[in-house]
Amino acid sequence: MSLDHIVSVTIGGLTVGMIYALIALGYTMVYGVLKFINFAHGEVFTIGGYVAAFTLLTLGVNDGMSALAVAGCLLAAVVASVLVPMAIGFLVERIAYRPLRGRARIIPLLSAIGVSIVMQQSIILVFGSKPVTIPTLALSSASIVVGGIRIRVLALIIIVVSAVLMAGLTYLVKSTRIGKAMRATSQDMEAAEMMGIDTNKTIAFTFIVGSALAGIGGFLVIMYYGSLKFDAGFLYGLKAFTAAVLGGIGNIPGAVVGALVLGMTETYGVSVDLGFLAWFVVAGLVLGLYVQMVRIPRRRLQHIAEDRRTPEYERNLLNVYRLTPYHGVKTLLAERTDALLSVSAEHAVRLMAGNIFLAVVAAVMFVNANVRIDTRWQPVIAFVVLMVILMFRPSGILGEAITEKV
Amino acid sequence: MRLSEVTERVSAATARVPRSVYAVGGLVIAIIFPLLNMAGWVETAWLRVGVISLLFVMLSLGLNIVMGETGLLNLGYIAFFAFGAYTTALLSSPKFELRWPFLVVVVLSALIAMVAGFVIGLPTLRLRGDYLAIVTLAFGEIVRLTITNLQDFTNGPNGITGIYSPRLVGEGALESLGSTGPAAWLVIDKPVEYYYLVLVCVAVTAVLISNLKNSRIGRAWNALREDELAAVSAGITASRAKLLSVVLSAGIAGFAGSLFAYYSNVISPESFLFMQSVIVVCMVVLGGMGSIPGVILGAIVLQALPQVIRQAAGAARSEFEVYRMLIFGIIIVVMVIFRPEGLLPDTLWRREAHEVDPREQEKTRQSLFDLEEGEKDLEV
Amino acid sequence: MVHERTRTFLALSLVIVLALGMFGVTGCAAETDGETDGETTGEVEIIKVGVQTALTGPLPDYGAAAKNGIELAVEDFGTFEMDGTTYQVELVVLDDKAEPAESAVVAQTMVDEGVVGVIGSLTTGATLSAIPIYAENRIPQISGSVTGPAANADGVDTFYRTCWNDAVQGEALAVWAMELGAEKVVLMDDNGAYAVGLADVAEDTLQAEGVETLRQNCQSGDKDFSAQVANVKEFGPDAIIFTGYHPEAGLMRKQMVEAGLGDVIFMGGDGIKSAELVAQTGGEANAEGIYATFGGFPEEQQPGYAAFSAKYEETYGEAVGPYAQNNYDAFGALIAAIKQAGSLDTEAIIEALQTVEYEGVTGTFSFATAADGPVARGDVVVAGLTPANVPRYVVEGGEFVSVK
Repeated sequence: MSLDHIVSVTIGGLTVGMIYALIALGYTMVYGVLKFINFAHGEVFTIGGYVAAFTLLTLGVNDGMSALAVAGCLLAAVVASVLVPMAIGFLVERIAYRPLRGRARIIPLLSAIGVSIVMQQSIILVFGSKPVTIPTLALSSASIVVGGIRIRVLALIIIVVSAVLMAGLTYLVKSTRIGKAMRATSQDMEAAEMMGIDTNKTIAFTFIVGSALAGIGGFLVIMYYGSLKFDAGFLYGLKAFTAAVLGGIGNIPGAVVGALVLGMTETYGVSVDLGFLAWFVVAGLVLGLYVQMVRIPRRRLQHIAEDRRTPEYERNLLNVYRLTPYHGVKTLLAERTDALLSVSAEHAVRLMAGNIFLAVVAAVMFVNANVRIDTRWQPVIAFVVLMVILMFRPSGILGEAITEKV
Repeated sequence: MRLSEVTERVSAATARVPRSVYAVGGLVIAIIFPLLNMAGWVETAWLRVGVISLLFVMLSLGLNIVMGETGLLNLGYIAFFAFGAYTTALLSSPKFELRWPFLVVVVLSALIAMVAGFVIGLPTLRLRGDYLAIVTLAFGEIVRLTITNLQDFTNGPNGITGIYSPRLVGEGALESLGSTGPAAWLVIDKPVEYYYLVLVCVAVTAVLISNLKNSRIGRAWNALREDELAAVSAGITASRAKLLSVVLSAGIAGFAGSLFAYYSNVISPESFLFMQSVIVVCMVVLGGMGSIPGVILGAIVLQALPQVIRQAAGAARSEFEVYRMLIFGIIIVVMVIFRPEGLLPDTLWRREAHEVDPREQEKTRQSLFDLEEGEKDLEV
Repeated sequence: MVHERTRTFLALSLVIVLALGMFGVTGCAAETDGETDGETTGEVEIIKVGVQTALTGPLPDYGAAAKNGIELAVEDFGTFEMDGTTYQVELVVLDDKAEPAESAVVAQTMVDEGVVGVIGSLTTGATLSAIPIYAENRIPQISGSVTGPAANADGVDTFYRTCWNDAVQGEALAVWAMELGAEKVVLMDDNGAYAVGLADVAEDTLQAEGVETLRQNCQSGDKDFSAQVANVKEFGPDAIIFTGYHPEAGLMRKQMVEAGLGDVIFMGGDGIKSAELVAQTGGEANAEGIYATFGGFPEEQQPGYAAFSAKYEETYGEAVGPYAQNNYDAFGALIAAIKQAGSLDTEAIIEALQTVEYEGVTGTFSFATAADGPVARGDVVVAGLTPANVPRYVVEGGEFVSVK
């Protein structure tokens, strides 16, 4: 494996990740405010892409036109691919989600699944089931060479757009009036209403912004890849959701971080050898051991009342978490004497089991250092990541910072 | 009299008829149906539609246990169906040159699906509802992609062909009976035979589930669905009850999957797409979550009605297909908004469906896991 | 907020309207069915021929083309005389959505309808579950587009096809790559039955000749191939054989060119030989030099193609769709077999199909009666065309042109 290979894999992974990020931002925002998985978000993204393609094809954009005309066409496509999803987002919220507010969690999710099917089939009815293809423009195929590495200009544009959107959204949520209303609605809808916030309007606004983000994502994807199929939204939506959960759902920078990690995992997983991937597992193991032996005991200690926090107790707790043979076993046996220590002992054993698992995985990978996972398994990666993260750390990497601290 | 009053009165009147009347009536119709075919009044293709519909009835009954009774949304339910189907295909086809006895295969298929349900249920059931739904979706897709990828084992996208017909008795016994007359019925290979086989299985499943529903565990499920906190305070072990419902429903799907594999001779990963899971969910929602007659009705309506149209609509048929999934989507949205209790509602659900859960509203900063309070800060 | 009763009413009435609407459709259709049920009209006897295709599902354009081709054939051969009686064919067109479970129902419906033969189905996956039903009920089945080697692995005598078995193309692609001097070859499939089958055969052939290979995969519908492109780049092949369909092939080629791999020979089977490929690669420049094989004579060498394509375009106002002429020939061959058998007994027709020699649009062909190398039982055997001279195409100036 050459450095060249690793660099090109990394660039590929980052680009894919940035595309996921665009969609994940909308997902995470709606979730942050409503605690509701907008399953149809992926379809809104597809519609955005189709509308952009339709606009470009109608205007007959091609490289023969003047730069100004091309720019005009692109601008029209952006506007269309933002406005149409916005309208759809507004309508869908009004028709299919608002009447269900406050019902058990799975009820609106069911409705969202229904909406997603309706949207997908509508795309077929309106645009047909063949993939839509747009002509290649000089802009979309242009690339720059930095240090012998070729990077597409559009990839850079996607990175810039994602970064700007992330910053803009953070500003919107943290520092504007409507952002404050969003955070208040998210924390306590009833209380927000009593404070004079029109929660209906706030939620509608959230949906409109989220859909606009998906629309921009659709536009950039059709520009980047040149074609889009009616069912693309299902997978992109799920991957964006995975990214959002991975970064900590409701957390705006988290969506981008999660998307990048997911994009990298998907690309690295099937295009570098296990021997190289194993170092990531080793890094995870080191982190896991640090968390188990240093961070958690430290955090636990802070929760213990002053008068009980004797040096001996402190040592006991540390020993429990470090699974020091003598003291650890002794404390385990003495579990009836101290509830906290016994809970901690169990916790430590669970954590250790996880760490041992990581160590075994790393060892297996080192043994098979030259093996590479078949690309056949690439689509499985995102689903496995999704399952693992929801099972073991549903708060994600950065924590579920649901627009906190009004 | 206004129309709404009519519907009210009709449902009030139907409520007075004992449930058993419906059950017996439905069963009689189901039993008579193939006779119409033998008499030449109904074409054999309808028997095949009947078999598939009955298999979906079974799937819906199984999904109803988790979705209707326990209130957990499973979006990867078809994966358990796949487990059953592939177990059967591997144990009873030329692939590995095996032909295990029918009963053994069916029971094993159900068991393997149950094991899969246990393995996936154990670590995920503590997740809250919407996350659980997404995890099951991911599980379903992983299962399908894995089946596609393990080409040496499953033939990948080509699927497994030539699955043997089920024999109700061993080969020796069959030969001694001769191959004609009533003994021919011991080898299930004609649509009508499959129909009755599946019908018996559906009836057994339905009876089993309706007994469970009114048993201790059934009430535990309902209690968990309505108010988990209260149920746990009342002494229900939530994890065990939930796990049991997931495992049981997986077993039913595996059972149905086994019959499906036998019936269709060929199985391939395309039969286990995410959309199939959604269709089963749609059947349960349409019929009425938690209501056995409702779920049966939902499955028959959604599986057989498109066929009715397809077989009969002539030239319009291909245009209709495009609208089929569209109508499925619309049905889900409309039912969930306007009649969440379904067409033939369960009495308990009916009350529950329309009320807004106050705790859902105030649960804005609710914990991610349904862990006990003390454990919360253990999360890193 | 809508009152609960009103909502109940709304929901019920919606369901009733839907149900009524559906049964309304049913009712009308049943009437038209009734009209045609009369077996004879005057001296003309109606015979039914089934068309099992997939008008919906993943490949609707293929399904429409097949149906068009068969309908043209009905115009040409649908009325014929045998023993002094005039027979007229009535098509029973059923859509199996390319789904195996649907396909079984469709096949059973064909049996119930009493068809003398079936043209179809469209895809290999769906055909697999129909074959046992047709075989058991002794109904001859001729497909114009099922190319999967799995289709008649059992070698039943009721299944025939007028298109080529993929195994032949897979071997041909490997041979071609070696002729082009490739010593390292990437094989890439889309994890579908068609692509995997083709790639497996090609890989085996290449490896048997000592060519170094790398297998890559994608999923149908994938957009991003950066992992695969990186792997290909690292492997440094002379050629890549992409055995899937054109949407993914186009994107793969595009991304390979963008990664500086434009010099790698890009080859594929008939799944990529589509007019849409060029657009999907992002323009003529990217598509230039893509090689493709095809299952059958190249169109310009097909004896009846010019006349067929003129008629097709006149009737449907569009260019000939994929496999339309193969389906046209499938119907023609069925009628020829009926005439040769001199009866409508399906057993006799099956017998006749094994010996019939038919002069069709795609060439003069018969059907193989036994498996022979990559050729399976029931496969088309075209006079003057062997697995060694599979038609080859290359993209030049934005169009596929035949390679001599």
